[in-house]
Amino acid sequence: MATFVDRYPEEASVVKASLVVSFVALGIGALFGLVQALHRTGYFRVIDSVDYYTVLTGHGVLLALVFTIFFLVGLFTWAVVQSLERPLPDIRLTWAWFGLTTTGAVFVAVAILAGFVPSIDMSADVLYTFYAPLQAHPLFYVGLAMFIVGTWLAGADWFLAYRDWRGDNPDERIPLQTFMVLTTMLMWYLSTIGVAVSTVFFLIPWSFGIVETVNPLLTRTLFWFFGHPVVYFWLMPAYLMWYTVMPKLAGGRLFSDPLARVVFVLFLLLSTPVGIHHQYLDPGIAEGFKFIAMTNTMFLLLPSLLTAFTVVASVEHGARQRGGEGYIKWLGALPWRDPAFTGMALAGALFAAGGFSGMINAGMNINYLIHNTLWVPGHFHLTVGTAVALTMMAGSYWLVPQLTGKRLYSRPIGLLQVVLWFVGMVFMSNAMHRAGLVGIPRRTAEPQYQSFDFSAVIGTVGELRAQIALGGFLLFVSVVLFLFNLLLSAFEEPIENPVDDSLPAPLSGASGSPVVLDNLRLWTAIAIVLVILAYTLPLASIVGDAGLFGNVPGVPVWVSANAEVTIEALTEVIA
Amino acid sequence: MNISRAGLLVLVAFSIPVAVELRVLFGFFGVDLPLAAVVVFEAVFLLAIAVVYNLGAEPKSATKH
Ligand code: HEM
Ligand SMILES: [Cu+2]
Repeated sequence: MATFVDRYPEEASVVKASLVVSFVALGIGALFGLVQALHRTGYFRVIDSVDYYTVLTGHGVLLALVFTIFFLVGLFTWAVVQSLERPLPDIRLTWAWFGLTTTGAVFVAVAILAGFVPSIDMSADVLYTFYAPLQAHPLFYVGLAMFIVGTWLAGADWFLAYRDWRGDNPDERIPLQTFMVLTTMLMWYLSTIGVAVSTVFFLIPWSFGIVETVNPLLTRTLFWFFGHPVVYFWLMPAYLMWYTVMPKLAGGRLFSDPLARVVFVLFLLLSTPVGIHHQYLDPGIAEGFKFIAMTNTMFLLLPSLLTAFTVVASVEHGARQRGGEGYIKWLGALPWRDPAFTGMALAGALFAAGGFSGMINAGMNINYLIHNTLWVPGHFHLTVGTAVALTMMAGSYWLVPQLTGKRLYSRPIGLLQVVLWFVGMVFMSNAMHRAGLVGIPRRTAEPQYQSFDFSAVIGTVGELRAQIALGGFLLFVSVVLFLFNLLLSAFEEPIENPVDDSLPAPLSGASGSPVVLDNLRLWTAIAIVLVILAYTLPLASIVGDAGLFGNVPGVPVWVSANAEVTIEALTEVIA
Repeated sequence: MNISRAGLLVLVAFSIPVAVELRVLFGFFGVDLPLAAVVVFEAVFLLAIAVVYNLGAEPKSATKH
């Protein structure tokens, strides 16, 4: 029995290409992360503080958007092909979306990185949230639009593959991995409407100067319409691996296929009508709408708790298959030597911690305590920065050999790498959370104010800084180890079966669950209704207050050579 | 109790969040633990698992599973 690359060589090439883009972004993004961690703690400064925002935008965009989403398109392509057991309908379409997303990502990266070169009149230091009235070079927004359209085509590719399969298998349940991909993409289509409208109708014309002004609250709200669901877009590939790969690595089977389906349906329904929870402190949105967003957010705890239960149950089952016993001792029977398993398990452990700090963010009143402090990066480095990123790296140790037909260069280095990430992230994110409680702001090159001292309740602020710098350093080393391990694997000799790539059937299969779970039309319709309920009134009042195009001129971030214009624009905004 | 080498590594990793949050835990009870106490705690813990590991170790290089 041969592995994925032998069965579907063309698909394997696209998946590999996607992962290469993903990992290049990971490398650059991690370097920027290290620069930030050392700069804002004052340990080592290679850049000017003005360039901090170029680094920060690069770090956020390259890691949170490029690294994660390119990994996702690769993984989803693999998942659809291998779970439907058929090649994609037309590989030219596949290469087309790969080309479009990659070109878009390159445009975005060029617009950001040009910010380092004063002689190029281009910059996009608008942070990864691209908040107007900060104005980036048009290339940035155009690149974003291309990138998003590319992901839409990728989704179309997977839906077409599914349609072909359905033609041949009219009465079968959708294979679980394909079900996960399709529900995730439906959520993505729904939620990217927000960011597409924002960039295409408002930000692109405004950055080209076709329209003069913008309504910042409107574009912010459209951003967060997409900005919350995007976190589930990052997370769903990790969930796909936790549900379908990790039980196997642990030596067992998925505990319940129906429960997994329920979770993905819940994410489709609930991901989008919650975005306003990022805007608790935005004036111009009535408290009642914020309260609705908070309530929906709390419901989202349900699928996460279901996941914790199902995944842990599957892993425990695996351990007991391997001879594990007792209440706690079975943990010792797990395959800790396998970096793919250990990485995913450690990622899951930190995700639990991130879930708790996320509940603080989600509470309308306690959010005020930590809003825009370093607590927030502390939170999302546990979630997207570890639950997602570490699962993707760990998963690569199992996935990449299937795509290349070559063994991993070194499993011990892989194990060291995932453990190093865990340790580094414990240091960095713990200190970030605590620094946030003290009130230290995020997104700041110089987080100290004159004649003002932050004082920690326990320990000192100096210790927190040291912890952030140390953690950031360990994380960077971890990424370097990861990339070198994969690079060296490329020089291994191809072999027949580089990993055991079979996925056992779940303990409780799909056949026992209600057929309505597979009714994607129904769930999409309900999701749309929920979004309309949550967003119509707030959007209407935002547009009613300041008009579609608002009255705020841009604050271009790239006219460094022309500071007067910037200052003039700024005074206008303030006045 | 037998601990595999990889299990040992993971155990050491898990001791770090415990150590890092130890002062907060004591803080709940109004005890101000100095940084040095945390360092000592971690050192003692590492020593303890090193002892357990060596006691339980099968002949050299034997790794479970
Ligand atoms: C080498 C590992 C990493 C290090 C050292 C690192 C460090 C940092 C630091 C210190 C900040 C805060 C900067 C500030 O607010 O002033 C930050 C922000 C951020 N990080 Fe990371 N990080 C790493 C990995 C990741 C990963 C894997 C992701 C996502 C997949 C990520 C996503 C982000 C995002 C989205 C921001 C916020 C950007 C913004 O505020 O616009 N980071 N990172
Ligand atoms: Cu959110």
